[in-house]
Order: sequence, then structure tokens, then C-alpha cells
Amino acid sequence: MAIFMHQRQHRSRFRHQRVRPRQNLPRLMGNVNEAIALLNHRGQFVATNALAAQILHNSSAQLKGQYWRDFVNTSLDFSQCHRGSQPTGKQVSLQRSQPGAPQQILEWSLTQNIRPRLHLVIFRDISDRKTQAEAALVQQQQQVELFAEVTLKIRQSLQLDEILNTTVKEVQRILKADRVLAYQVLKDGTGKPISEAVLPQHSAILGMTFPEEVFPLHYQQRYAQGRVVAIADVQDPQAGLAECLVEFVQQFDIRAKLIVPILTSPLLAKSSSPSDHGPAANHAPQPVLWGLLIAHQCTVPRQWNAAELALMQQLANQIGVAIAQSQLVENLEDIVDLRTTALRQQEEQLRLITNALPVLIAYVDRQQRYQFNNQAYEAWLGQTPGQLKGQHLETVWGSEHYQRMGLPVQTVLAGEMISYDHEMVGQDGEHRALNITYIPDMDGQGEVQGFFALTSDISDRKAIERMKDEFISVVSHELRTPLTSMHSALKILSTGRLGTLSEDGQQMLEIADDNTERLVRLVNSVLDLQRIESGDVTMEKQICNAAGLITQAIEAMQPMAQQQGINLVGQSQPLQIWADADYMLQALTNLISNAIKFSPAGNEVSINLEAQPNQTLFHIHDEGAGIPADKLDSIFERFQQVDSSDARRKGGTGLGLTICRKIIEQHGGHIWVKSQLGQGSTFSFSVPDPPTQRTSLSKHQP
Amino acid sequence: MTSSRQLLIIDDEETIQTVVDFGLKLSAGWSLLKASSGREGITIAQEHSPDAILLDVMMPEMDGVATFKALQADGQTNEIPVIFLTAKAQATEKSQLKALGVSGVITKPFNALDLPMLISRILHW
Repeated sequence: MAIFMHQRQHRSRFRHQRVRPRQNLPRLMGNVNEAIALLNHRGQFVATNALAAQILHNSSAQLKGQYWRDFVNTSLDFSQCHRGSQPTGKQVSLQRSQPGAPQQILEWSLTQNIRPRLHLVIFRDISDRKTQAEAALVQQQQQVELFAEVTLKIRQSLQLDEILNTTVKEVQRILKADRVLAYQVLKDGTGKPISEAVLPQHSAILGMTFPEEVFPLHYQQRYAQGRVVAIADVQDPQAGLAECLVEFVQQFDIRAKLIVPILTSPLLAKSSSPSDHGPAANHAPQPVLWGLLIAHQCTVPRQWNAAELALMQQLANQIGVAIAQSQLVENLEDIVDLRTTALRQQEEQLRLITNALPVLIAYVDRQQRYQFNNQAYEAWLGQTPGQLKGQHLETVWGSEHYQRMGLPVQTVLAGEMISYDHEMVGQDGEHRALNITYIPDMDGQGEVQGFFALTSDISDRKAIERMKDEFISVVSHELRTPLTSMHSALKILSTGRLGTLSEDGQQMLEIADDNTERLVRLVNSVLDLQRIESGDVTMEKQICNAAGLITQAIEAMQPMAQQQGINLVGQSQPLQIWADADYMLQALTNLISNAIKFSPAGNEVSINLEAQPNQTLFHIHDEGAGIPADKLDSIFERFQQVDSSDARRKGGTGLGLTICRKIIEQHGGHIWVKSQLGQGSTFSFSVPDPPTQRTSLSKHQP
Repeated sequence: MTSSRQLLIIDDEETIQTVVDFGLKLSAGWSLLKASSGREGITIAQEHSPDAILLDVMMPEMDGVATFKALQADGQTNEIPVIFLTAKAQATEKSQLKALGVSGVITKPFNALDLPMLISRILHW
């Protein structure tokens, strides 16, 4: 009768039963470990075995005549009516679920026309399998999560202990192993578990040191090459475990074990220790065995599956990375410690040095609060650096001194270095002169973060300067009286009214007279210079007519020019400048006198003005011998002349240009010279306009 | 400058007295009384009532300023014009001296031959 085929091996088994009587069918169907149903060409049940009836929640009798499509949400297609055609292996179909009952999932296969208009359906309930697959998925998911968590831990934490502890704990949980260890292999061949997660009923082996015999070198080498050992049962002779080891592992109830190596990259580890530049560094990076990640099953054997193996390996790899990282970090920390110590030492040295200096050194932040003060502040202010830290400048110095600081502080916070003098009464009641320099502290973006304040007591220097000034002043004054006598006596002699001299005698008298005059000029110049330099002189600036000054200077120098046969030409176009008229006149006459002295007879000396935005330029041009290029820079220094014989020949003091420069600088201007040998020189100087605009000045123009 | 004048110089430097004497005599024919200290000068001024007094500022014991004040305080001498002779050339010092009420200031070094001209200009002679 009917032959039921499900799988090929079944087919051959059924083939020689072909002649069996039909009544044997139910028995046959009952013996088959699958659900079997016979359907007619309309899809109605003809016969079912017990398993089929059970799955479809009906008896075989009840099912008879009912339609397959009422039970299963897929109807069958019997259009192909060839006998014995290949089973259509539909994978999964959903059974119409009973209210409230969990959904059933069937897997079935159809063989059409095993007899004419009779079809065979073999099916099974795979709902449980689905659950198992889901469980496997969940486990896989958990493993992925664990892997992610460990990886994250490794990224977030550089604490190796923490990483290892997390790993063993989670592996133990996920694998449901009895014991999970991170075992470190030490250099001498011994080793010890340094992290362990173990169920309470089993003994802990954390911290025990294992002798070298347990883990011989050739084992280490094999693990270093990545060997993984999975032993389902250590007592199984086929596991290949040496007898002594079997005994050894039994001490700890170990029945099954899974061992994966933890390898680290030697390059990564090596680069972390800068002192180690051994030849090994040049070799291709060979993984170094750091230790093992071990899972134990105690008491009973355990077959380790591929997913577990893969998980252990992935985790071991991550741990390897973590170890390399932590070694790197440890090394970095060592280096940082070293540098920090060095920095502290430097800071201490700096403190010692700054404390030893008689200078007040401080760092002030952008909010004008002290962040560093050296010890010298205590002697000055009676407050220790500790007390000063964080205090505002105004609090420390009081509003009167702070007012004086205001502008310089603003300047330095705008990014410009500034130096100024200030006077105050110190703790000891002594009057002190201070020189204060503020240096801006800029960050990489050019933003001012604060400033360094260097304050030095220049009282001594000021005293010495005063002494020097007094000395020059006294000497100059003391020289004046004898000079008056000499000068007058010689002048009186040269009148000839006290008796006539020989021609030679007359010449000697002239030399004495000329040089007395020169000495007078020198004394006057030294005194002028000293006064201007000492700052005793303040330029009484006011609006004056530059052309008027030039006219006055020309008038003053006209006798000298006539004597030398020089024509003086000056600009007469009025132009207002902001200057001290007396000193400006002195500068002009000095420059004109210079130009006359160095011009050959018959030449011209011209004085011109040039109005520029924000300043006025004066040009004094001569057609003399000119100045060699190498002398141009030094010509404004005192006692510098182009030719040392010039001083005598021209009767100069060597101070004229220096005085000019000082006068111009006191006006906030500059002086310079352009010259070509044989073609003359042009001395120029600038006089800046006052803070108000030129237009407002021009209103005052005549 | 045509009329003959008699001046008094009070200066501790004898060479100055001498050159001033020569300068005044040679250039203008003026005569000069000489004193080497403030006290001596006050006495001479009281006795001879000179046309003007040339007074050195820096002198030991009684300096020019003190001498000037003494001359001003004395009814016999307070009408005599006084011109300071000073080695201090600075404008501020000059104006300080002028502020005391002297007729003028002449700065050293000077040429003694120029003195009659300078003095006549200051005193509007």
C-alpha cells in the first residue's frame, strides 16, 4: 500500500514493506518518530498518527475529514499531480493558535501522490527548538555584551586589576563555569592566578604560586604561538594530560578546562620604556605570553563549544591590549612622576633663586590678583607670599599706589611690556625709589593670561645718579668761575690796551682765547646734557610756529655762516608744531651750526619742513663732505665725530648731536641722518603732533 | 653808558673782582668797589652808595641771597639795584633768583668787557 517517504534512508527501509497490508499503516505510523498525516487531494485528513494528532490537539478520529488549512496557516497546493513527485520542503509554517495558547511552529514536508489523490505530510513541532535557538541567541548576545563591556572597561580604565576582575567575573557568569582565572606567567617560569571568579562551593586558588614544572617552558612557547586548550575531561586518557598534572588539577576539583593564552604585543610594551632600545626591538613583533585566561569546570566533565572558545579568545586578546596599554600608561606615569619631580625641583630652585634676589617678583593674573610672589614681598609689605596669593593689587597696595599702577597695568594687560618708576615708603619707613616692569604672559593664541611684575629698588641707583648729577653740576659750576676769569682776562689782553704783543704772542693769545671759548661751550653742553638726561628738565611744550623757529635759528647762526661763507636758506611757510620752543631752537641751532662747520665755503645749508600725518619733519641739508656709512649709526653718540681731528679743527664739543637727540626724544620724536660721501648730508628729525588733531592745531595758524 | 658810574662787586673770588674791574674800566670807564664777603659788601654799600651792586650768589658764610635780603632790609641800601652773578645757568634757577626782587641775573662765564652793555640793558641806563 502506501509507502511513506520522508528521508532517503527511510525510503529504502519502507521499500521492502511495500506489500504490507493497509491495516498495518497505523502501527507503522505510530512507530515513526515524526508526525505523519495522509491528505486527500482536497486537503482533508485521511489518516494521522498519534504524534500528529497530539501536535494538532485532536484525536486521529476527530481529524479525519477536517481540512489541513484550518489547522495550518498555509494551504497546500496539489496541482502537480505526478505520482511520487519530490517533496516540497516548506520550512516553517504557523499553526492557527488556540486562544491563549502559545504559538506553535511546525516544520513540514509534503510528498504528493504517494497513491493517486493521496498525499503524505510529515511534520514536527519545532516550537521548542525555536526556544533553544532563542536561548542560544540570548547567550550569544550576552557574550557580545560582555565583550563590549570588557572592551569598554579596557578603554575607560587603565587599571589592569579592574579589567581582569571584570573579565573573570563576567566570563564565569556567562559560561556558567565553576572557576575562571587570569593567570600570570612570571619570568622565572612560575605563575600565579591574579584574578579569580569562583563559585563558593569550590576552593579559591587566587594568589597561589604555581611551580615551573606545572607549566614548563615548551608549554609556554606553544601558548605563545596562540595554542588553545579545551579539555572536556581531564581524566579522559585521550585528553593527553600528563599523569602528574591530572593529580595536580584534581587537587582543585578541576574536571574540565578551557585555556586561552593572553598575548601582548612586545612592540607596544617596548615603546613604553624609552631606555630599552635592545636589538630585539628591530625584530618583527613576536607576541609575548603574558599569561592565560582559564575556565574550569569542577567535579563533572564539560564539552566546551566553539562560541565559548571564541569568546575566551576574544577576551584574551582584549586583555592583551589592555595589558600593553596599562604597561604603557605605567611607564608614562613613571615618566610623568619623574618630570613632575624635576619640575618641582626646578620650581623650588626658582623659588630659592627668586627669594634670594633683592627684586620683587610676582605673577599677576588677568583679574589683577597675585598668583606668585617671592619672599622679597614679605620684607616690603609685611605679608608672606602665601597671604598675598589670590589678593587683588588694589587690596595689597592701597588705592593711592593702585592709581599710579592703573595705566601700566592696563597697558600690560593689552599685551605690551611696560616699565615705569614709582616712589613709596617701605615697611621700614624709608623712602624708596622703585623701577617696575610688567611683562605680559601670552598664551598660544596671543591672549594675555596675566603678567609678570618685576619691581626693583632703585633707591641706591637713584642716589648714585643724583650724586653723579650733582657732581657734574658742581664741577660745571665750579669751572664757570675760573673760566669767567680766564675768558675775561684773555679778552681784555686781546684788546691790546694793556700793551701790544708780538705777532707770535698775539697768535698764542688767540689760541688761548679760542680754546677758552670752546671750554665754555663744553661746560655748557655737559651741563645741558646732564640736565636733560637726569630728567630735571621737562619740555614745556606748546603750540609754536616751526617756520618761526627756523627763522630765529638762522638769525642766530647768521654771523657764523657769514664768517664761513655759507648761505642759509630756510622755509618760511608757517606750520604749527607742539614743542618747547627754547629747546627746539637749541636743537635747530646745533644742527645748523654743524652743517655750517662741515660745509665748504660758498655752499648752501637749507632747512625745510615736511608735514606728515601725525608729525612734522625737519630736514637740515648741507652740501659738505658727507658721512661714511659706518659712522651714520654712532654719530649721535656723545664724543663721536667723523674724524677725531674734526673736534679740534671745527671747534665742536662732540656733544651737540647727542643733545639734539635727547631734545628730540624728549619730544617723542626721532632723529636720523642720510648721507652720501661727497654729496652732503641731511639730518632729519620728527616732532609728533599733540594728542589732539592737526586740524584743531591749524585753527591757531596765523 | 656815557656818564661815569661806580659799581660794587661782592664776590669771594678775587680774580673775578680784578677782571670785572678791568672790563668795566676798559669798555666804559666805570669804577669798581670790591668786597670779598657779604658783610664787607653791605658796609661798603652803606658808605659809598654805589650805582649798582654785582652780587655773587655762591659765597661762604653769608651767601648772595642772604646778602641781598640784608641790603633790602637796610634803608641806606634798599634803593641800590642788585644784579646777581651766578654759575647756575638753569632757567628755573634764574627765575627763582629773579623772584627775590633783584634787577637782573648774569650767568657765568661772561666776558667782563661785555658787562657795561649787559648792565645798561638790565637797568635801562
